[in-house]
Formats: sequence, C-alpha cells, structure tokens
Amino acid sequence: MIKLTPGLLLSMLLAVSLSAAMPARAQSANATPDNAQLDVHQLFATTCGWCHSDGGRAAGKGPQLMNTQRSDDFIRNRIKNGKEGAMPAFGAVFNDAQIDEIIKYIRDLKPHEG
Amino acid sequence: MKRKPSCFALPIAFAAMLAGSSALAQSVDTARIEAGGQNDWLTYHGSYNSYHYSPLAQINTSNVGNLSVAWIHIPGRSTRGLQSMPLVADGVLYYTGSYSRVFALNGATGEVIWSYFPELDEALIARQTHSPYNRGVAIGDGKVYVGTMDGRLIALDMKSGKVMWDTKLIDSQKLTVGFTGAPLFAKGTVIIGAQGGEWPGRGPIFAVDAATGQKKWEFLTVAGTDDAMKSWGNDSWRTGGGGGWMPGTYDSETNTILWGTANPAPLYDWSGADYKTQGARPGDNLYTSSVIGLDIDTGKLKFYHQELPHDAWDFDSAVGEFVMLDRDGQKYVVHPNKSGYIFVYDRNLGVKNVWRITQNSNFVKNIDPKTGELIGRRDFSAGKVSEPLCPHISGGVSWNAGSYDPKTGLYYKLGQEWCMTLEVMKTTPIVAPQAQLNIGADFKIAPPPGGEIYGHLDARDPITGAKKWEVRFPEPPLGSVLSTGGNLVFVPDSRGILHAYDAESGTELWNHSDGTGHQGGIVSYAVNGKQYIAVVAGFGGMASDDYAPTFGGVYKSMPRDDGALVVYSLK
Repeated sequence: MIKLTPGLLLSMLLAVSLSAAMPARAQSANATPDNAQLDVHQLFATTCGWCHSDGGRAAGKGPQLMNTQRSDDFIRNRIKNGKEGAMPAFGAVFNDAQIDEIIKYIRDLKPHEG
Repeated sequence: MKRKPSCFALPIAFAAMLAGSSALAQSVDTARIEAGGQNDWLTYHGSYNSYHYSPLAQINTSNVGNLSVAWIHIPGRSTRGLQSMPLVADGVLYYTGSYSRVFALNGATGEVIWSYFPELDEALIARQTHSPYNRGVAIGDGKVYVGTMDGRLIALDMKSGKVMWDTKLIDSQKLTVGFTGAPLFAKGTVIIGAQGGEWPGRGPIFAVDAATGQKKWEFLTVAGTDDAMKSWGNDSWRTGGGGGWMPGTYDSETNTILWGTANPAPLYDWSGADYKTQGARPGDNLYTSSVIGLDIDTGKLKFYHQELPHDAWDFDSAVGEFVMLDRDGQKYVVHPNKSGYIFVYDRNLGVKNVWRITQNSNFVKNIDPKTGELIGRRDFSAGKVSEPLCPHISGGVSWNAGSYDPKTGLYYKLGQEWCMTLEVMKTTPIVAPQAQLNIGADFKIAPPPGGEIYGHLDARDPITGAKKWEVRFPEPPLGSVLSTGGNLVFVPDSRGILHAYDAESGTELWNHSDGTGHQGGIVSYAVNGKQYIAVVAGFGGMASDDYAPTFGGVYKSMPRDDGALVVYSLK
C-alpha cells in the first residue's frame, strides 16, 4: 500500500506539472507518443551515453554500436527487454516507432570528422 | 604505540559461547559500535571514526606468508559482482550479495546460520541502471538492516533472519532509483541515502526508527532548505539530482550525522563560465557535492561545506569516508571527494586543509587549502571539449574506502589516473513515462596526457597529504583497503589478487588470487582466539564496466555475474 506522504504527493505533482511544461518529445505521459521526432542524438547525451561511449561510436560500459553486426530485431529486442545486469529494459519508455529511430541513428553512426 | 595482542586470549567459557551460538551474543548498540570492538566489525566503516582498521595483530608482518583460505561462501545470483562490506559481531559474519540477499554465517567455519532473500520488484529492477548490487548491512539493537533497489529498508532479527519490519521509503516506479548503499545504525536510528545524482529527483536521506521501522525524518539533498532553494535557478531544483548513496558516520559528541551528498543533474552543464546565471541549473546547487552535518534526532541541517559548488564533473561527495582523528589536541574529519581532492575539516566541517591524491587533474587548477575555494575551474559550453577532462567520470577516487592506521598515523588510499574526452550537449530532463539519466554529454575514457591509465595505493599523512610511499597498479583497484594492528595493509585489486603490504614501508609481503576482480569490502575479525581476513570478490559494477574494452587481458573473460566471500586465516 502506498502511503500518500507529502514527498510522494510532491513527486506526483512534479510529474504532472513537468509533463505540462516540457517539450512534446520528452513529455509522453503514455508509451504511445505524438508524431514528434525523437532526437536520438540528444537521447544519447542524456541517457544512452552513460554506457554507449562517444555517442555509440566506442565500446565502454556497453558495446560499440557503430558498425554493429546485430540485426534490427536483436537491437529492438535488446532495447525493449534489456539484459540482466547489463542493459536496462526500455520497453515501457519507447514505442516501436521510436525504437526504429534509435536503430536508424545506430545504423547511420560514423566516426567523428577530422 | 604498540598494542599488546591480548585481545584474542579469551576465557574458555566465552570462547565456547562464541562458537556459533548467536543466541547468546551480546547486544550491539551505539556504545558498543563506538567502542570499536577488538574482535568485531560492527558498522560499515569499522567504527564511527571510519578507520577501516582492525587492531588485531595475530596476523602480522612476520607470519602473513602463512595466510591461507579458511573458508569460502558463494551467495549466488551475483549480478554485477559483489560490492558489500561484511560485518561481524560475536563470531557471526553478516553480508549481502546482489538483490539484497543477506547471509549470517559462522565466522569460523562459514556455515550458514540463516539467509534472507527479499522478494523484489524484478520488473522495476530490469529498468534500472545502477542496480542490483548491494554494499552491505547495518546492525544494532538486535536487528540487521538492509536497503533494496525497490526503495525499501528492511529489518531482520539478528538471530533468526526473520523480518521485523519492511518500510517503503521511495516510490521507485517513476524515478527508478533505490538503495545500493549500506545503512548506518546509531542511537536507535537507521539512516540510509538514496541514489540520485543522475536522475531528475531531489536525492533524499532517510532516518528510520530502528525499533518500529517508522520514518523519523527525511532530508532532501537538493534544495532541502529555503536558503538552498535560491541556489537553483529556473526551478532546476525540481530535477536536481543529489542523493547520499554511501554511509556517512555518527559523531556522538555533537549528536550529528555526517554524510556526503551526490552530484547535481545534468552531470555536465553547458553554462560556460557564468554558471551562476546560465545553463541547466544556474547557481551553486546546494546541497549537492557537499558534506553535511544533520542533527540525528530531527534531521535538521546544522552545518555543511559544499566541496564542489556547481559541480560540473560528477565528482560526488557521497563516495567518501569521514575519518575522525585527533592530532595535537585538534579534532579533524578527513573526507575524500570523488575528484581526488581530500578535504580536512574540523568537527563542524570548517575547512582546515585540502590536498590532492590524483596526479592527473585539470577540472580545476587547484582548491585553496585554507578556504576550499575552487581556483581555475573548467566550466564547459555546449560542444566538443578541446582538452580531455581529468580525472575520468569514475573519479580520482571512488567509493571504495581508504584506511587510517592509528599506529602508523598514515592514511592508505587508492588514487585513480584516467581522463575522458567529451562533447557537452543541452539536454532536457526526462521524467515521463519514466525518469531517465540526465548526463549532458557524450563521453569516452582516455588515458592521462602523455601517459597510461593506472591506479596507486598511497600512504599519506591524512592531514598534510605528505606521501610516505606509493604502490602502482596497471589498472586501478576498486576494492576497499584494510589496515591492521599486525602492521599490514590489505588491498584487493581488480585482477583478483589480494595483496598484503608492510604498513610502514609498502613492501609487498603476500598475495593470493581470489579468482575474480574485487570491487567491495574487506574486514578483519576474531573468533575463539583466531584472526580472520574476509574479503568479497566479484567484478561488474559501474567503474569496472570499462575495464574489458579499455584494458583487455584478464578482464575480457572475467564474469560480471559471479562472486564469492573469501576468508583467510593463518594455517
């Protein structure tokens, strides 16, 4: 049973108020968003880059994504379900269309210029 | 001052009592934790003075060559390895594995007395990043206390492992944070800090009544007072980060809890030099990356020092132990910040000195040793950062503890030499449908300019920082350090070797392979007059994740889901 403490109330209000204030792409209170594009470049700098170094170009905590030999299905499954102790499950966070955009970003990854 | 090793000459009746019968054990209370206990290890940091030191001298420089494995325990399901600090009271060893598995073992034989595996919200854990490892328990007033990754603090009866209470402190569903750190028991109160630095929350530290499990107070490390609110421009406190994910300590003289707080979010800001008015979180961002003193009864803030105002590098103050020592009639508190700068305070957290253990460090030019002021700080703007940042995000030091030896007067602490390239980007905190990390940059590990990555064990004067000796390691060790009355310093390294060094000279006297890398605790205790060294082995935590791609070698085949508690004694 969740006790409705002031701290919990605050978090709930926070989530609601921030949902209203934030740009559409970061908002989605549900898993099915509007048609706004997912900025995967920014997503990596926000979240994915914690493990996927240099925007996915280098191996670090997680494997290198640039030039990965893994299939789209493998990547999709990995993003949705994660891997115990290695990768979180993002299935509740991204829908299929958004995962498609992430896969496209991965396929388009090139070394930095210069 | 040499101590006579009389601690283990126990009367026979008492020795019989200790042989596994925890039912007759004395109560562990605040006074007993404070006294330290010759044969015991009663709190995460050894005692409230946080020395990570055992006075036992049965194992010493003349006989450590005969040290061998007494027994091993394998907890199972050691996802991301073992990171916990065992505790020992009256011959019973208490430790945790991943998923907050708790074990009570006969300290002489390793026989399992009881075990407890909490039922966790596994669907939640699957969504977490800094999970499911656990750094240990607290004991006190007849109970064992453990935090969980789904935001609970659980109390178990010390004798039977039966659940006494189970209190939910964090609603982790949306924020996805929980507890990885060990709690602290003091004065009938159990204190534990949440994860938080990377997430869009406010990083609470909780105090719970040890008898009933009722929450006593909560301190928000992000803007926890009206004054602090002013140090977060544009309402950035709402998604400020913070937290206090490692145990601090208790100063009974002043009735104060000393705790280190975590970094603000996003980790990397785009403000440029004018961080007070520009960027993602304008202002100093109190009380992140600070050491704080809270009244243990009320949770009210008594004093603090912000080690890194507007921390723009993820160099938490949460990592460090609070070493309480006296010298020449002065009382000090020595606290390492993740940057590798070691802060020396008086007991009210007034800055007395600051020294640096890290060789490669450029996030600031220096920190003023008299005032703690940051000099020549590197604040970034959006875009590629031209000169690599040192140290790396894994820190100039990490959360593995150093050890202070009151006999040698030296502080044995591990330093880390690594850097990073990064490209800073403007990010927006993501709070729905689930909170995400808010880093603020793409980054990659890099060697120090003109050199290789390495780690080093330093023997230093804790107040002045003067170095007596140093031992280098090709990859930074990530385990805690133990020093003992036998004039030994034990370091569990990342390749899996446990080393023993002469505390005065740094000469290596003994080593042994534990089979996999270390990233957790090491303690010493005695049962029936016999001294033991207990260390956890099992790699796979945050800092270790970079080892296989960076160093190759043994790390390529090292498991990231296995581990064991290995206990040594003399033959």
